[in-house]
This record gives sequence, structure tokens and C-alpha cells, in this order.
Amino acid sequence: MKIESDKNYVILNDNIDNAFMEQFKEYPIIENLRYIDLKKKIEFFSSKTIIFRETFYYLKKEEKEEILELLIRQKINYIIITSNIEDVLYANNLVVYKDSNIVLEGSTKEVLKKEKDLKKLGYGLPFAVDLSTQLNYYDIFQKVYYDISTLVEDLWN
Amino acid sequence: MELDGNIIGIIKEEKEENYDGLRVNEIVTYKKEEALKMVKFDIEKENTLFEELSSKDKNKVILAKKLHDKEIKLVNFSKGMLKKDIEYFQNLFKKITNYGRKVILIDKSGDIFLNCVDHIYVFDEDKIIYETTTIFDKYLEKYIDLPKIVEFINRSEEQGIRLDQYTELDELLKAIYRIKS
Repeated sequence: MKIESDKNYVILNDNIDNAFMEQFKEYPIIENLRYIDLKKKIEFFSSKTIIFRETFYYLKKEEKEEILELLIRQKINYIIITSNIEDVLYANNLVVYKDSNIVLEGSTKEVLKKEKDLKKLGYGLPFAVDLSTQLNYYDIFQKVYYDISTLVEDLWN
Repeated sequence: MELDGNIIGIIKEEKEENYDGLRVNEIVTYKKEEALKMVKFDIEKENTLFEELSSKDKNKVILAKKLHDKEIKLVNFSKGMLKKDIEYFQNLFKKITNYGRKVILIDKSGDIFLNCVDHIYVFDEDKIIYETTTIFDKYLEKYIDLPKIVEFINRSEEQGIRLDQYTELDELLKAIYRIKS
């Protein structure tokens, strides 16, 4: 996979094993750290790119957002490797793997338009995207939402 | 400490089990083939070292090892799992408990509790600080990210829209359509 140093990515893969991680060995990889330790680590981080190997699994939504804000402030680019479709919304670029092969890639919003492919692959869509897409079919909405709070507000008001 | 329920959800900080240095076939020894098949582990990987596996495969191996235990405790079992995997294992847990066994899920994700657990406990170290019988309990939000469908229903209620406790998107869509039309 070609990584552009000035971009942030989410990589979606449901089999993140050591063989898969080999391709990222030139980058510093963070895994298994909880919020407090992760925050401390990033505050003193010297590299320009950081890779999170399923680290986001251990974080609550607010903690993920704070970590990403910190990275942006420190001008550190990040690559989030995850199997959680909800995490894809944390970067503008998305790469989707199946069995060690890239099957989809591009801007996150463009890739998320491939609803059938993502569902067939077993990843599905983030909940807000899925619900608002279905509501488009019902003619209740004419746009896709990426955030539950905004979706709820627009739907009921 | 006796906990209520056959499938119990626990929210607490706990270290994941580690079998580094051992191969799958050294970890799962009792009725190995049957156990690995039941957890959908690729038998071709049975000679692989534990540390080389993905989180999903590690969790499958740990479950296969414990499959015949009276009490099956799994830490962060949902790590690396897709929705369809979680659904498969939730059904498996239900089958297991039919044989008089208990499943204890200590997890970071509310998704695995949805449609599955009888009781949820929140621990601070070894002390229970909160307990509930439903993942729709708003107070849980303080400790764990709730499943998105639950978050949606709770947020809707804050807007004055009371929805039933739907657990499937299709049912929720129909309810929204009924309200909007």
C-alpha cells in the first residue's frame, strides 16, 4: 500500500495479523495502549507519522476525538488500522482490505458510497451512514449523514 | 462473587489472555478439531504461534480452549470481530448456556452485549459500581460506547421521540417511516 506522508488514513481489515503489519514496519506502531498512556506517548512523540494497530478499540468516542485533536495540533499524520467500520469516519482516506488484498480505496465519502461492496465484504456501513442512506430510499432524507447527533436533530426537527 | 445471569456482560479494565510462545495446537488440546471448527478457526493455521495471529483469531483460539469449561470468561472478545462474527458468537454463547454453562464477557464494546447478555455489571477494580439488565440503560454511556442503534434511540428520546428498544436497523427504519408518514 502506498502511503502519502501528508494524509491521514483509516485501514479497514478484519484480519490484522503480524504478516499484514509487516508492510508498515518502517513506521512507529502503537498498540494496546489505554487513553492516558496513549496521550502521554503522543505528547512526546517525535515521528511525523503514527500507526494505531487496533488501538482505537480501547478508546471511547470522546477519547478518540481528543487523541486526533492532539495529533493535528502536533502535526502528526496518522494511520488507524481497525476492523470497526465506525472508525472509518476518523480520516478522509479509506483503504479496505480483504484477505491481504486492497479491495477498495479512495476518499472515505466516496468509498462509503460502495454500500453493496462493503456489506458483501462483511464490514457494513457506519450506523449514521447506513440509516441515512436507507432513509434516502424512503424519501425521508436527501443526503447522507456521518454523525448520529446531526442525523437525529435533522430527522426530528 | 456470584453474578446473575447465564451470559454476563462486564465493563472493567482487565488484561487480555496471552499465550505467546505457544502454537494453536498446544493451546487447544481438548477435542481440538471439534472446538476449532465450532469457533470457525481455520485449521490450516493450527501450527501458527499465538502472537502471530490477528485479534479475531486469538479470541477464537481462547474460546476454543475454554469451550468445555463450566464458566467461560472472555476478555475483549469483540476485538477484531465484524458484526457478522459477533452475531455468530452470540448465537454460539446462547447454545453453550443451554448446556448449563456460564459465559462472562468482559468487553470494551457495547455491540457484543446487544441482544445477548442477561445482566451487565460495571466494575471499578474488584468492586461493582453499577449493574443493569439492559444495554439500553443510558447510565452505561458513562462507562462504555453504547451500540449505535441504542445511541440513536436514546438521542431520539432526548428530542421527545420515544422509540421501542429496536436492535435491528430494519425494524427501526419501519418505525421511523411510520412516525414520519
